[in-house]
Amino acid sequence: MTQLLSSKGVNISQRNFQQIIIRGDGKEQFNQLINSEISSLPPSNNLEVTINDKFIFAKNSFDQWSLIYLVEQNYKEILKFISNVNLKDEILASDYSYGQVYFEISGKNRNEFLNKLTHFDLRLKKFPAFSMAQTLIAKIDCSIYNLKDKYIVTCNRSFEDYFKERLQDTANI
Amino acid sequence: MSAADNKKSHYINAKEISFKFDGKKYLGYKGDTIASALLRNNVRLVARSFKYHRPRGLYTCGIEEPNGIVQILNEHNEPNTRATVKQIYEGIRVNSQNRWPSLNLDVGSINNLLSPMFSAGFYYKTFMGPKGFWKKIYEPVIRRTAGLGKPPKEFRSKSVHQNHNVDIVIVGGGLSGLIAARKLIDTEYDVLLLEQDSFLGGILKNSNKIKKINNIDVNKWIKETEKLLKASKNIKIFKNSLVTSYNFTNHLIALEDKCAGKEINKDKSELTLHKIRTTHTILANGHIERFISFRNNDLPGVMLASSFEKYIHRYGVVPETSPVIFTNNSTTATLLKSLIDLGHKPAAYVDARDKDKIGKKLLDYLKKSNIPFYINSEVEGCDGSKKIKTISIRKNKNKIIKVKSSMLCVSGGINPDIHLFTQSKGLVKWDDKLVTFKPDVPFQNTITLGSVSGNYNYEKTIDEIDQKLSFLKAKNIRFNLELNDSNNFNIQELWETKHEKKSNWSKSFIDLHNDVTTKDLKQAVKEGFDRIEHLKRFTTNSMGTDQGKISSINSLGIVSKILKKKISEVGTTTYRPPYAPLSFSAIAGRNTYEFYDPQRKTPIHYWHIENKAVFEDVGQWKRPWYFKKFETESMHLAVQRESAQTRKTAGILDGSTLGKIEVKGKDALEFMNLMYTNAFTKMKPMTSRYALMLGEDGMIKDDGIVCKFNDKHFIATTTSGGAPKVLADMEEYLQTEWPHLQVFVNSITEQFSTFNISGPKSREIVSKVFTDVDFSNENFPFMTFKVFDYKDTEVRIMRASFTGELGYEIYITPNHALELWKKIFHYGKAYDLVPYGTETMHLLRAEKGYVVIGQETDGTVTPIDLNFNWMIGKKKKDFIGKRSLTRSDTSREDRKQLVGIIPLDKSEFIEEGQHVVECERLPKPIKTPVEYLGHVSSSYHSPNLNHCIAMAMLKGGNKLMGRKLFVSSTYGNKNIPVEVVSPVFIDPENKRLVS
Amino acid sequence: MILINCPYCGERDQSEFSNGGEAHVARPENSENLNDKDWGRYVFYRDNPKGIFYERWVHTHGCRKWFNAVRNTSTDEILKIYKLDENPPSKESFTNTLKTPSGEPKVGSGNFTVKK
Repeated sequence: MTQLLSSKGVNISQRNFQQIIIRGDGKEQFNQLINSEISSLPPSNNLEVTINDKFIFAKNSFDQWSLIYLVEQNYKEILKFISNVNLKDEILASDYSYGQVYFEISGKNRNEFLNKLTHFDLRLKKFPAFSMAQTLIAKIDCSIYNLKDKYIVTCNRSFEDYFKERLQDTANI
Repeated sequence: MSAADNKKSHYINAKEISFKFDGKKYLGYKGDTIASALLRNNVRLVARSFKYHRPRGLYTCGIEEPNGIVQILNEHNEPNTRATVKQIYEGIRVNSQNRWPSLNLDVGSINNLLSPMFSAGFYYKTFMGPKGFWKKIYEPVIRRTAGLGKPPKEFRSKSVHQNHNVDIVIVGGGLSGLIAARKLIDTEYDVLLLEQDSFLGGILKNSNKIKKINNIDVNKWIKETEKLLKASKNIKIFKNSLVTSYNFTNHLIALEDKCAGKEINKDKSELTLHKIRTTHTILANGHIERFISFRNNDLPGVMLASSFEKYIHRYGVVPETSPVIFTNNSTTATLLKSLIDLGHKPAAYVDARDKDKIGKKLLDYLKKSNIPFYINSEVEGCDGSKKIKTISIRKNKNKIIKVKSSMLCVSGGINPDIHLFTQSKGLVKWDDKLVTFKPDVPFQNTITLGSVSGNYNYEKTIDEIDQKLSFLKAKNIRFNLELNDSNNFNIQELWETKHEKKSNWSKSFIDLHNDVTTKDLKQAVKEGFDRIEHLKRFTTNSMGTDQGKISSINSLGIVSKILKKKISEVGTTTYRPPYAPLSFSAIAGRNTYEFYDPQRKTPIHYWHIENKAVFEDVGQWKRPWYFKKFETESMHLAVQRESAQTRKTAGILDGSTLGKIEVKGKDALEFMNLMYTNAFTKMKPMTSRYALMLGEDGMIKDDGIVCKFNDKHFIATTTSGGAPKVLADMEEYLQTEWPHLQVFVNSITEQFSTFNISGPKSREIVSKVFTDVDFSNENFPFMTFKVFDYKDTEVRIMRASFTGELGYEIYITPNHALELWKKIFHYGKAYDLVPYGTETMHLLRAEKGYVVIGQETDGTVTPIDLNFNWMIGKKKKDFIGKRSLTRSDTSREDRKQLVGIIPLDKSEFIEEGQHVVECERLPKPIKTPVEYLGHVSSSYHSPNLNHCIAMAMLKGGNKLMGRKLFVSSTYGNKNIPVEVVSPVFIDPENKRLVS
Repeated sequence: MILINCPYCGERDQSEFSNGGEAHVARPENSENLNDKDWGRYVFYRDNPKGIFYERWVHTHGCRKWFNAVRNTSTDEILKIYKLDENPPSKESFTNTLKTPSGEPKVGSGNFTVKK
């Protein structure tokens, strides 16, 4: 965890998580398979986020889930999980572990801060706790997870420098 | 006869500030605008007009100002600033615009004498020819004399954008806006209150029309209200924030000036562009007064009556103690009283209304105060040079008398400020009683309150707010007003007064900003421009930066009289955003310079920097273009060195930017067969293939290498720039055309870094890096791939080549990418392994005759044009674009086809983009067009052949092999003789690839 | 920037979406049997009316899902959004909802003629 900035009611730090994107139909067989691998059922409602000590599990869309490990796993284990899941023809699991970067954004002014970079409606009544959204932040595709007291924002690794510079710039002026 | 202080105003106790106007020093008070400070100093002449360079003075007290537009010298030379809006601060330096050498002596004012030339449609009629004159003579001259300020000096704005999502936006913090806001305190709604001025209150501060609200003095009431609003949980106030656009689905844009009244701090943002999405919009943005056209109604000293009143109450300055007041409506009564209450005596009161409309009360007051007044009368015109001296009044529509005064306060009535309402697509209607357009049917969730809704009666406003907010869960608080004067509005329609023509200098203006006269309007109608939108463009009426805020309704009135139609039939012109000018820097926000476009970097980026890479933008990616071996190495030398070394031993390219897409599912094979031209059915597992993707029009869209794990699992690569589009196309077809196919596609571009190593020594190098893998030709043939463990991850290596040499593509997860890259160099050192960039990549592939999508192709090239027939799975029933390959157009034999060309004189160089023709010299002059055969798509100096090699797209190129043709050049009119050859210049037998 | 209600993600700003042109233009199944003119019609021709239009949108910068919308092209008002597998609503069901059929008010706009 690297602290990026902390000012005027906004704290941002960079986190190192691992992630898997899972595509499937969300039906019984799919749920059972995932459950047998990680002992957790995928969330069933669109944009819903479930969280435990180990991971965030979110449904991005009707046929897509993202599984983010909050505690670093042995990478081999992750790859093994992916290849196990991929044995099934009807599922596609793709490793996103090191292809994404993760930012934790907290503080009481986090909405106002993020709204300098995105039009997305962050008000609790439109973006409730434990829900997620895919949207544009600073002109790039991001996923944002509302974990009640903080957001996790992820984007492609190649944008890391650009995105950090935008965050810093927004805080500076 | 001069300006005086309003001693009752708090401004007079404010801090004194010194500022400069046209180099001269003046004193003003803190909170003054440039305009109010200049009036305080009796400066009447502030500008020269746009076209005729006539002397002009301040006409209004706000955003609607047509004349007082100035340049701020100390703020990066900001031009076109409204003197009536911009506040002064210590040391501000202001210049007038559009004059030379000075405001008092302006050479351009000769235009005024030549004015018969400058009639309506002047530009369209005058600058017709001769050919070439426009660019050399007309435009430079017009640019110097017509126009506004000088462009700002180089300056990087720090303006920012701020998005808001709210339930209610209130536009305007005047009487109705503040009452509406108070009713919404601590309700369930998120509310934004936007006020263009630096203070709340609007009409409450601009006049003394309203004395008390709920028995509290209005100034106290405003303070109390502001305190309550600020303390609330749900209401935010933005002052100095002007709403410029009201777009569809309740999206508003407001520009906040964060440096109002202070100098710009270069490190902080000076402007915020608020982008607001709301559910309901309450428009409480008031009204704007309009003028009346009369002879010389532009002389410095003519001012709108309500603006004069605003200067008295808002800024504590009486611009002139004995002005003449000219009105056709009831709103000027309070101005008259304000002056008399302060002990001043207007020189005359001229009212176009009859005595019934004026009312006994006001007439008695005029008599009692001993003010010369004229009813049923009008101002015929005024005279003076650079300021008013005498004012001619036509008494009882008959006899003309002259009155001496230096200022004339005019009111032609008031217009609801319907700009935002009509921008939001609301319907307006004509009101005969108010003699103006007012909002009728809103198109969005829009509520209008107060004078913008056409309700000019303050007492009725209270009921109006109660009623219009009743659908909201607003608080039920009652407000009672105590007025200075009952304000039953009435008006006598009057657009222009009859005047005698005295000289060419005498003009009656309809648009002060663009110097359009009422005569221009009449002439334009005579010439057939009788529709209001045409008339506007032909005369440039209301097309200035003030958009005719004080005059556009007047022009409708005048035109309706000429056409003998009702104004409602004439209609209005279209109101378009922005409401008032806003600077481009505000629109751009932070999305400039390094943030203009997001930048993508590969995991090897910093290694490239350390190794003196020069970067090239490929899409959003930063890719090494070439690497400098030493600081002064030129691009040409670097590329020649990299290319030669790669063919000699080995070179490596960071190809991480290539798009990668994982395709998986029961029907993956069928899907891939449909998406690409190639046939994948017979392809063996763990092999790869160069593949083409077409559009339905048969034109090549993208290419890449497809790896087949098995019939249900593929990984496809795309070009660096094409990746998002290819993925989107795959998703589109899966969702819209072939939902029955069970296939998922995921982008894995970022999950793999890719290194392309090639050259005769590449096998030896990779064998040393991955000691467990057998890279022999038998075990690892061309176009196959393997996946194996590497540390805690997996590596996929594919034998493929984009250079024509033995080569491998290495795919590794980014966590190990840099380490592996360095390791390859560790072992590559013994073989003089070079890193190379995109330019060398292009050169090497051109030597081999490989095409680049977007260089050889341009969206009009089919695979047949590139001799890619072998890549088309003709036996497949269908694939995207298949049918189009047999269209009459795509099967033509004279289409442009890919060929190679080399100069006959090996020392010559062919330029990319040049034309290929049959003639050695172009005829001079060219009487008939020279037949064009095609263009040069790629050209390089090959270090391995030691001459120029080029590729070209030539009409019927396949049949031109061996022909002598010519290529045009930028070095002269002599064309370069070339020979058409096969585009494969190196290793046509593919020995290097497959051994 | 209008607001578009993605059937999967909810209301979002237009900048997240891309327009896919006319909806309900099926890709011909047996394209080899079509003559150039008919195939050309599918490839190159799309309707672009003023008024009610059935069109496709994709939530490019969100869930990447496609959906259909009925939009009044002269006012930008989106009258209905429906998923790809849902039946399109009939055109008749919208005519009464149009406040200004051409999108431009009789008064308040330049598209107004002064008759002689």
